[in-house]
Order: sequence, then C-alpha cells, then structure tokens
Amino acid sequence: MLDAFSRAVVAADASTSTVSDIAGLKKFVAEGNKRLDAVNAIASNASCMVSDAVAGMICENQGLIQAGGNCYPNRRMAACLRDAEIILRYVTYALLAGDASVLDDRCLNGLKETYAALGVPTTSTVRAVQIMKAQAAAHIQDNPSEAFAGAKLRKMGTIVTEDRCASLVAEASSYFDRVISALS
Amino acid sequence: MKSVVTTVIASADAAGRFPTTSDLESVQGSIQRATARLEAAEKLAGNIDAVATEAYNACIKKYPYLNNAGEANSTDTFKSKCARDIKHYMRLIQYSLVVGGTGPLDEWGIAGQREVYRALSLPTAPYVEALSFARNRGCAPRDMSPQALTEYNALLDYAINSLS
Repeated sequence: MLDAFSRAVVAADASTSTVSDIAGLKKFVAEGNKRLDAVNAIASNASCMVSDAVAGMICENQGLIQAGGNCYPNRRMAACLRDAEIILRYVTYALLAGDASVLDDRCLNGLKETYAALGVPTTSTVRAVQIMKAQAAAHIQDNPSEAFAGAKLRKMGTIVTEDRCASLVAEASSYFDRVISALS
Repeated sequence: MKSVVTTVIASADAAGRFPTTSDLESVQGSIQRATARLEAAEKLAGNIDAVATEAYNACIKKYPYLNNAGEANSTDTFKSKCARDIKHYMRLIQYSLVVGGTGPLDEWGIAGQREVYRALSLPTAPYVEALSFARNRGCAPRDMSPQALTEYNALLDYAINSLS
C-alpha cells in the first residue's frame, strides 16, 4: 500500500534519482486539513450514503427486490448494503492516502470476476457507485441538496474555502470512476 | 511502504471501519511535521552529490589503507562503486525524509545489508565514518532550519546504528 509520499519515492527509485517534485508534496501538506475534513465528511455520513445509494438503485429497478431479484430476500439485500459500504470505505482510504493503490489492491483486484461468479448485476452495482460518487461530492463540497434531503438535510459546517475543495472533489470522483471502470 | 498514513489505513482496514477521528488526528500529526521533513529533503536533493562526495572523501581519509592494492577502494572501478554506495545511502535518507518514516531505508538499504557486505568482504567501519561525517557536517541555519536538521540527523543516526 502506498500514499502520496511513498508513491513519489517509488517513482524516484525506479530511476535511482532523488524525489524532485517536492513542491507537489508541499501542496499536499498545505492542503492536508482540507483532505482530513473531506475524509471526515464521508466517514461521518457513511451509513446514510450507503443506504441511500442502495435504496436509489432499487427505486430505479424494482425488479431487484421481487422474488428472484438480486436484492431478494433480506439476506442478499444485507450483502448488497455490506458491499456498498466496503467500496465506500476503500474509496475513503484512497482519499486519505492520496493514492489509489489501497483501493486497487484490496478492493478492486478480482472484484469483477467475483461478482460475475456470484451473478451480481454490474449495471446495478455501477449505478449504486455513481450515486455514492454524487453524494461524496456533495458532502465534500458541503452543499447537500435541500430538495432531495428535505427534513433530513445535514451539513458539516460553514463554508471554509471559496472553491469548496474542488480539487478534492475531483480526486474523490476519480476514485469512484476507478471503481466503475473496474466493474464494467 | 510503511508510513503513518498507511499504518493508520492498515489498522482501520483490519478492523473494517472507516477512519475515525483519532486516525485523522494521527495523520494530521504526521502532516504537521512534514514541512520540516520536506525542507530537509529538498535541501538534500539539491546538494546530494556534494554531500556524498564529502562523506566519501572523509571516510577514505580516515581509512587510507582502503587505497592499498587488493582493498575495497584500490581501483577506479572500486572507487566509483564506493562513492555510489554512499550516495545510495543519502538517496534512501532523502526518501525516508519524504515518506516520514524509515520505510525506504529499511526495505532498500538495511534489509540484507550485513549479508551483502560479508559476502563481498567489505568493512562497515568506513560507511559508519562517512555517514558520521555527514551527521556532523550539517549546520542550522546555514544548511536548513533547526527542525529540518533534526529530522535529517535522526535518519543518519538510524543508518549509522544499522551498520555498527
């Protein structure tokens, strides 16, 4: 498993040179608190994000909870919720580390084959991940939609940065995209 | 590669939980010290050739017998290999400064070091002398800030201890 720093070191070692992109790492350090806040925003809302993403996936495809569907009976629905949480957890780890290696090695490696063997439908899984991607962006930006959330609207705090952590939103989205492309 | 962040993630993963507040606190602690480490890494990267050459010259000065026929520093090939080895240690120290732990030194420098030096019948004392010279050569604030120098010296001490 690598983080942003050890990734730079491994890259430098391949050419037996010293780490030269110190400026990039300094930026990582300078924006460290934003990153920790983003990780906290996802971790604090994780169970809500997971259940909402799976519920949204089922709403769009009611067949999943009919007899013979992949989220029927409760046992399989529970497995589905568990898997969504696992994927979100590894994306959170990757965001904390600033590198996708933990996500690749420990979550995505062989996931597609496992799901194919178990008969899990890829399109539904991808849809749930897409919903989590949108949720993660909303939580990192801290602008969850009032229209969708209604009385359950929950914000992390007041806006601290002007750009609403645009670079971290992009980075988190890239990890979700990685999951989607690994599955499809 | 072991660092504060990867250790925190590995233990959170073993427990199957999201990063907790205390996990984030440990990462923040590492990030706060990172400024000094990165400063040292930047300065070392800029001067690594000079630092390594000085250290190499110092150890040959202390152990001139190495220049005798049949010894480890006797031919031009051997000399360049000795100088390369010292630079290799300095590079691993730079990596360790970047990562914020001794991972690169442990994995790429220290693991198997004794066995290799025994097989090649190389003495370790000159390495200790070279690294000790570098250890005592750094000066704050001439070369880097005091905190950066502390981090740099700590890693040199770690490398010296592994050899002695």
